[in-house]
Amino acid sequence: MNSSPPPSRPPLRSVLLRSRKRTILGFDPQTLIKYFFGSNASVAIIVLVLIMVFLLREGIDFLPTYQRELQTYRRAGLEFCDIIDQPLQRNQALSSSLRQAVSASLETLSKSARDRRDAAFLLKRQVEDKTARPRESLTQALEKTPPAPEQIEVMRRELREASANAAKALSYPAFFNTAEREQLQREFAALTPEAADLPPLLQTLVAEFTAKDREARAKFAPLVQAQEEFEEATEPLQEVVDQIKAKALETKEKAVEFAVLETNRQRLLEAAATETDAKEKASLTKEAAESVSEAVNLEESIKEITGRTAELREQVEKYAVVIEKAAAVLPKDAGTGAARSLVNEVREGIPVHAREMRAAAATLDSWRWDKPVSIFSVIGAFFFGTQWITNSSWQDFFGFVPLLAGSLVIAAIAIVIATPVSVVAAIYTNQFASEREKEIIKPVIEFIQAIPSVVLGFIGISLVGNLIKDVSECSWLQWVPGFPIQERLNMFNAGCLLAFMAVPTMFSLSEDALNNVPRAYIDASDALGATKLQTVFRVIVPAGISGILSAILLGLGRVVGETMVVLLVAGNRIAIPDFGSGLGVIFHPAHTLTGIIAQELGEVSRGSSHWQALFMVGIVLFAISLLVNWCARAVARRFEPHKA
Amino acid sequence: MTPATNPESIPPPVVQVRDMDFCYGTSKALFDINLKVEYHRVTALIGPSGCGKSTLLRCINRMNDRVLSARVTKGEVLVKGKNIHDADVDLTQLRKQVGMVFQKSNPFPKSIYENVAYGLRIHGEKNKSVLDEAVERSLTHAALWEELKDRLNANALALSGGQQQRLCIARAIATVPDVLLMDEPCSALDPISTLKIEELMHQLAHEFTVVIVTHNMQQAVRVSDYTAFLHLGKLVEFAPTEELFTNPREKLTEAYLRGTFS
Repeated sequence: MNSSPPPSRPPLRSVLLRSRKRTILGFDPQTLIKYFFGSNASVAIIVLVLIMVFLLREGIDFLPTYQRELQTYRRAGLEFCDIIDQPLQRNQALSSSLRQAVSASLETLSKSARDRRDAAFLLKRQVEDKTARPRESLTQALEKTPPAPEQIEVMRRELREASANAAKALSYPAFFNTAEREQLQREFAALTPEAADLPPLLQTLVAEFTAKDREARAKFAPLVQAQEEFEEATEPLQEVVDQIKAKALETKEKAVEFAVLETNRQRLLEAAATETDAKEKASLTKEAAESVSEAVNLEESIKEITGRTAELREQVEKYAVVIEKAAAVLPKDAGTGAARSLVNEVREGIPVHAREMRAAAATLDSWRWDKPVSIFSVIGAFFFGTQWITNSSWQDFFGFVPLLAGSLVIAAIAIVIATPVSVVAAIYTNQFASEREKEIIKPVIEFIQAIPSVVLGFIGISLVGNLIKDVSECSWLQWVPGFPIQERLNMFNAGCLLAFMAVPTMFSLSEDALNNVPRAYIDASDALGATKLQTVFRVIVPAGISGILSAILLGLGRVVGETMVVLLVAGNRIAIPDFGSGLGVIFHPAHTLTGIIAQELGEVSRGSSHWQALFMVGIVLFAISLLVNWCARAVARRFEPHKA
Repeated sequence: MTPATNPESIPPPVVQVRDMDFCYGTSKALFDINLKVEYHRVTALIGPSGCGKSTLLRCINRMNDRVLSARVTKGEVLVKGKNIHDADVDLTQLRKQVGMVFQKSNPFPKSIYENVAYGLRIHGEKNKSVLDEAVERSLTHAALWEELKDRLNANALALSGGQQQRLCIARAIATVPDVLLMDEPCSALDPISTLKIEELMHQLAHEFTVVIVTHNMQQAVRVSDYTAFLHLGKLVEFAPTEELFTNPREKLTEAYLRGTFS
């Protein structure tokens, strides 16, 4: 065996020298690759920052714009009018309740007579509809000059036959006796286009109703009278309010127009200042000089409005006295239980209303048209404003509370429904399900995420809405607050669908949390003789609770940010839900932060106050999502001892 | 292969394994095991890695039940004279009688008090004074009471590794089991904590019967009264510790003790 010579080694010094490598733009390729990967990771961060910057840039101008608008609102005197006009709105609610009460009361006596009359007229109408064509031809023939008597005769016969057939085919309601039915049939068969008077039986029916109605009105005279008085009471006051409102609106429009022209003029002057060409400059300056408009004398116009304060106060006082009197004479008795409760409601409501009106009138004097609108009050008007009114001929208000309330209630409903479902499903899948079951449950639940939300919206409109409405009409479910529901599209409906959408997120994350519970805890519990259920509920769930809570919060984040479903299903009524109706409030329609942006942003002019307000809503929405996510992370970090 | 000494064992041994074969699916892990564990003695199971000593230990409280397709295929395991695979055996009761301490300390992420009380709570004990008394007794037994009595409501995970393992022992003995199974209880601990636990084992033997798996032969010498040597799933030798270490009967045992293989 001959030993091969040892491999030649490089000289000692050169071993440690860096071998020459290719460089790109002076960089080592490895460094470049590192930067490439790093830059991809930073893109997400940069985009997030850009989103924040642009949201802020568009939205932050909202506050000064809204401040200017509210200033005009005050200076032009609109605010002054609203002092009286706002509480006066309650009059309509009261008066509608009263009207309902009156008609319900009257119906107790006159309902059958009215039904008979209405049914007869309906039948007559049906006959006329069925014989429309011969009647039409006959009418035309009659109008023709010269008349053709033979033709007319033929047509009359045709009409008579058609009418007789139609009258025979009708189904007569049971409250007509046989004789009446026959007479009606005869009368319908004899209907002619030129007859001005009603057939005799119909006349009788009308008279019957009139008599009954008169009787009913006599019986409930105090109620009817009170209602009429109440309705009339508002008229003189409303007249004064309308007059000053018209004046204020006129002033406001002038002021707005002036502001627009003035900005335009400023812009022209600026352009002229920077323009180098002398000719252009001259034309711009000229244009600017032409567009000068007369500034509105706000003070004068305000004087005209505030000058009527005394008159207004007097009218309010009169109105208050009259309605209080009407409330005092409101009878205890009404035709039905429902009417009685309505009357009681009105009786209690009127003094409150009168008090509000008087209080409003008392503040008229302390109102100052030239008091500046501070930026804090503008912030308050946005964040605590209870009205979101846009495209109004009177005044736009951007109050955030109705939208926030809608979003929060819907999110709460969704979370209350989704949490038990997804957490329990996660516990079952993680701890009790066989491998086969897991293979089915997990992909199916995760598939829910793949359903486009607009499809869920369809389901909400077409299926869930009707389902809830039908269920709410079951007689044995009437103990549920809010049943029977009025609107198919409501917060509960939206909440159900959002819960469905949140389930995959919450399920998967909860399942992960349970999976992360160390095996050793389960071993220890088993070795102590715990049953499966005891281990699950005393060890696994408590150990995984932070993950489960974090899953719920992330689900909440998803629910708050969801747009399409709420836009389609929540009912889109921009008003603070009526929390006075207790838990039944969930069956009311509402609008949401996300929905309002999606719905209105496409329709507003860029840069207007409305546009900016929507961006402001976007900023708040962004902040809420950020907060929820941060909370989720904080919760996940807390109580995670087994990871420490 | 019964121990040579102690011929007057009149009460039945607390744990008796008879001709037991054990399989994971189709692969046999233990072959024809015979073992008798005496009351109030410490029995050590030693052997090279993968010899089946932990499996044997887990047969005694049926912890292997959770492993799919793992089962005893022949023979029987008797605890206090009762075959634990009989249909009328309540697993919950069996594990109450046969406590277990694991290799890695695994206290629950609860308070010290709740950890110790857990075993009693799951067996339906609600009486606060009974629980208090049991917690104090168990912690005293585990030599923790003096250290921890002032912070029973502290989270158990805040304790040191050695304390955690002793807490696990306290948790296991709170239900007053007859047998305490220990699966390499000191392998993750520092020497001082190990020493404490070894001292503890002598104390525990006064009240409980201890079966300990260890890969540390010195530990077996220090703590146990009897030692069983397993190799490749077979029980090679079972004898009083002193005898097995000084005068092994089997060649294989001798080779292992000398360190020829491990």
